[in-house]
Amino acid sequence: MSKLKLANSNKTGLPNTDIFKKKQIDLKRVFSKKAIPYLLLLPAFIYYAIFWLAPVFAGVAEVFTDVNGQFTLTGNFKLMMHSDLFDKAVMNTALFAAVSVMIQYFIALLLAVLLSRKFRGAKLFMFIAMIPMAITPTAVAILWKTGLIKEGWINSLLMFLHIIKEPIVFLNAEGLAAVFLIILIDTWTVTPSVMIILLAGLQGMQRELKEAAYTFGANKWRIFVDITLPILKPSIITSIILRLIAAIQVWAIAVMVLGFNKVPFLVERIAFYVDAVPGVATSEKLAFTFSFTTTVIVFMVTIIYLKFAKRNTKIGGSS
Amino acid sequence: MDKLNIIQKTVMGLVITTMVFSVVVPLLFFLSIAFSSDVEMTKFPKPLIPTFTVTVKIAPAEDDQYEVFHDRGDGYRSIITTGNPTRLENHFRRQYSVRVPGEQLLKDFSKTRIYGPMEFQYRKDFFHNFKQFFAIVNNSIPALKNSVLVSVYTILISLSIGSVAGYAMARYSFKFKDFINVTLLIVRMFPVVGISIPMAILLIKFGLFDTLLGLALLYSVPNIALTAWITSSIFIGINKELEEASLIFGANSFQTFMRITLPLAFPALTASSMYAFLTAWNDTISALILTNKNQTLALVVYKAIGTTSSGIQYAAAGSIILILPALVFTFIVRKYVNQMWGGVEL
Amino acid sequence: MSYLILKDLEKRYTKGGNLVVNKMNLSIRKGEFIVFLGPSGCGKTTTIRMISGLEEVSGGDVLIEGESILHKKPKDRGVSMIFQSYAIWPHMTVFENIAYPLKLQKLSKSEIKERVMAAAEATDITALLDRYPTQMSGGQRQRVAVARAIVVKPKIFLMDEPLSNLDAKLRVSMRTELKNIHNKEHATSIFVTHDQSEAMSLADRIVIMNKGVVEQVGTPMEVYHDSATKFVASFIGTPPTNFFEVSIEEMNNELFAVSKSFQYRIQQELRKALKPYIHKTVDMGIRPEFIDIFHEDQVKSEYLYDTVIDFVEPQGTHSVLIVNLEGKEAKIVTTKYMDIRPGTKVSLYIRDGKAMFFDRETTLRIK
Repeated sequence: MSKLKLANSNKTGLPNTDIFKKKQIDLKRVFSKKAIPYLLLLPAFIYYAIFWLAPVFAGVAEVFTDVNGQFTLTGNFKLMMHSDLFDKAVMNTALFAAVSVMIQYFIALLLAVLLSRKFRGAKLFMFIAMIPMAITPTAVAILWKTGLIKEGWINSLLMFLHIIKEPIVFLNAEGLAAVFLIILIDTWTVTPSVMIILLAGLQGMQRELKEAAYTFGANKWRIFVDITLPILKPSIITSIILRLIAAIQVWAIAVMVLGFNKVPFLVERIAFYVDAVPGVATSEKLAFTFSFTTTVIVFMVTIIYLKFAKRNTKIGGSS
Repeated sequence: MDKLNIIQKTVMGLVITTMVFSVVVPLLFFLSIAFSSDVEMTKFPKPLIPTFTVTVKIAPAEDDQYEVFHDRGDGYRSIITTGNPTRLENHFRRQYSVRVPGEQLLKDFSKTRIYGPMEFQYRKDFFHNFKQFFAIVNNSIPALKNSVLVSVYTILISLSIGSVAGYAMARYSFKFKDFINVTLLIVRMFPVVGISIPMAILLIKFGLFDTLLGLALLYSVPNIALTAWITSSIFIGINKELEEASLIFGANSFQTFMRITLPLAFPALTASSMYAFLTAWNDTISALILTNKNQTLALVVYKAIGTTSSGIQYAAAGSIILILPALVFTFIVRKYVNQMWGGVEL
Repeated sequence: MSYLILKDLEKRYTKGGNLVVNKMNLSIRKGEFIVFLGPSGCGKTTTIRMISGLEEVSGGDVLIEGESILHKKPKDRGVSMIFQSYAIWPHMTVFENIAYPLKLQKLSKSEIKERVMAAAEATDITALLDRYPTQMSGGQRQRVAVARAIVVKPKIFLMDEPLSNLDAKLRVSMRTELKNIHNKEHATSIFVTHDQSEAMSLADRIVIMNKGVVEQVGTPMEVYHDSATKFVASFIGTPPTNFFEVSIEEMNNELFAVSKSFQYRIQQELRKALKPYIHKTVDMGIRPEFIDIFHEDQVKSEYLYDTVIDFVEPQGTHSVLIVNLEGKEAKIVTTKYMDIRPGTKVSLYIRDGKAMFFDRETTLRIK
């Protein structure tokens, strides 16, 4: 905008202005034109320098100094690796991220394919399907806790449907069973939304792309495998990566439904050392190291995402 | 290409019904529990719809006392025998969510001296659990206020810094633009939990630890980048000629921005502010790390379940308060939710 | 003789709903280039989708070489289609796009390669074979779509407004190329468009459709000079035909088209046909280039009306004059008086044999 204004003022500048002054105006114009975007970005630069880069560096510094303030390359990591439940936290996080995303996308894709036609009440259906994702995670945890307690609604429902005779004590679940309980809750929360996204992709795809394959002799299955899925693949994979990043940071549901230490996750460990055993020097170090580790993992997934997104723009996802 | 046959139609109907049920049934039970009285909580199996009234059987007892019977599904059982109005009032309030003064109860029950044991029906105070949540759980009312304030701060910070950056990204080409773009994306993905703990140290230095502003500063980290991203995509879509036309007709740059650019970018700003709101409103872990006394509602609800495991219905009531705004705002931005998730547009 | 026959072809999308295509009858010869022309929603696209098998038929029959193809799947019908959006698969290279139909036929790799190369050569895209569609221009994508359609060696080519997404210049050059490819391949082609100049320049015969009904089938010259219905006369030609409401009257053993402001003597050839319409109202139509503004000695014409030129729109090769006739604008095309000025008084003459009359109820031309 101001570019135009400055250009105008320059044009209307009287012809008899001396050369020096004219040159200065030119300089000013060139300078300000180049500077404008940087000026506009300056607040963001400053903000991120103070509230992002500084904490990141401070965090990194903390990770590489021991409790006594001495530099240590691996000390805190050793501390973390030997901390209680570290192995389990890593295993569970990996298991949770992999299995939950796999289950969710499998079910969601299946549902989306089944429902990829116009039907009555589709809008209302979409509305309902979006609800679980819209609920605050804390509330999701409480919702499921009211179901999982011995006199909870899940047992009530199962008894009512005559599936079980005695109430099941879900909250005693340990190990793998506990992880799967959390996966189940996460699946309830996430799957409908994933389905909507896939459905939107399926319905939004140009009908003629499929019709062309059909006229050339592809049957429904071939169309799905050769045309629909490959065209949707880029957006499916991007959304899977974004979902993975969220899944790595699971903790609230686990802690609220089952409690600390029952199903250890990476971020659950952070919360544990901050919330359950605060004030101890080592627990602070552990919290730092765990959050550093989590961040590095998320960062690596982000890099994969970026690489993938870049490749997509090269090949071109949808036309 | 071809039409659905009856089997396919049935399968589709079944799938839709199953999905709707699996989403709606847990929600209904949850709502039911949020409105259940203490005595209903011990009932098993649980009903899908909570009761609106409670029926007790009263029998006169010695020394001006009354024996209260209640049916929990296996016939009337004696629960309490008392003539003390305060005890009666408390019992009715805590157990049945009935708010009737003790004297009134005693007066009602005095009929049994004439007619013998009889049943009484009282209307439940439907919002008992909500009142209890705010009464029992520490700091819940300030927490609600805090959550609203932190959200507002986050929106203000993210929008003011982010939209300006977004405008620069959309309208100008300059060195490092690609680099800045990638950086913004990384910041957007950056797990808030990763900088929460070092941020605490920083905020202590600034004297902002355990303040709402400090919390909002943290929540703004991903949201400034997100706002820049959303607004820049909208600014690119706004034809530059619209702005230039305004300039030609005599408006200055500021007027043009206020009258032309900003209104056109309004949807993007709404969406960005909703995201900022949701980050601030939904977060627990950072609030856990960065606050002490000035807790947010999500954090209070999180803590409530730890302390009052017996009164889970109060936590449920608190969750409902937590859910409603988030639900409303999510639906306002749902158009963008899908784009966020990998670029498939609805 | 007929290669493709449409017999009472009908389409409705919902039970008891409107007929989108109404009792359509058409027979097409082998190697012919047919254009379906009509405004949007006239049923032309629906018709070729029914021929291709993408759309179910509600009534009637489609026969290729005397055999009904309704029960056949698209691939067994021997048709191939070029879509309006080209429908080039974005995740496949150009080569893969063209090869896909052959892969579905389970041809050998060497044969696939050979045929893809041939099709690519015919459409001049051999240099693009390794590229992805998103890296290509609209014209290039269009060529890929054509290559993919000819590679299966179809009996019938179906083209659904294939040029409408191109810019004006490219559209004209692609249209010449399509005609070239057609001449080389000799495949029977059906081309759908709403652009009359596209239709006129490509078609052996044009099928003009309106509201699901075929208004006229004929060569470009036939539909222009011998329009069968009022719709055809108004749809074909720019500027469009001028229409007036007139009543037919007999005076001194001659027929006249009479309106408030003019009496036009009808030429002898139409006497017999118009006789039943005496004292009745009909629509009279005259194409803009058949009206003269002064009496020309060497041209046989009949006087119509005195009026004044309101506007002149010079077009270079000709000028469009706008006059007021019966309170309506009438357009006249002249190549002789291109410098005439607005306000000039003129006398309108209609060239003999060029006035058309249409029945008001059936809209059919009276002749």
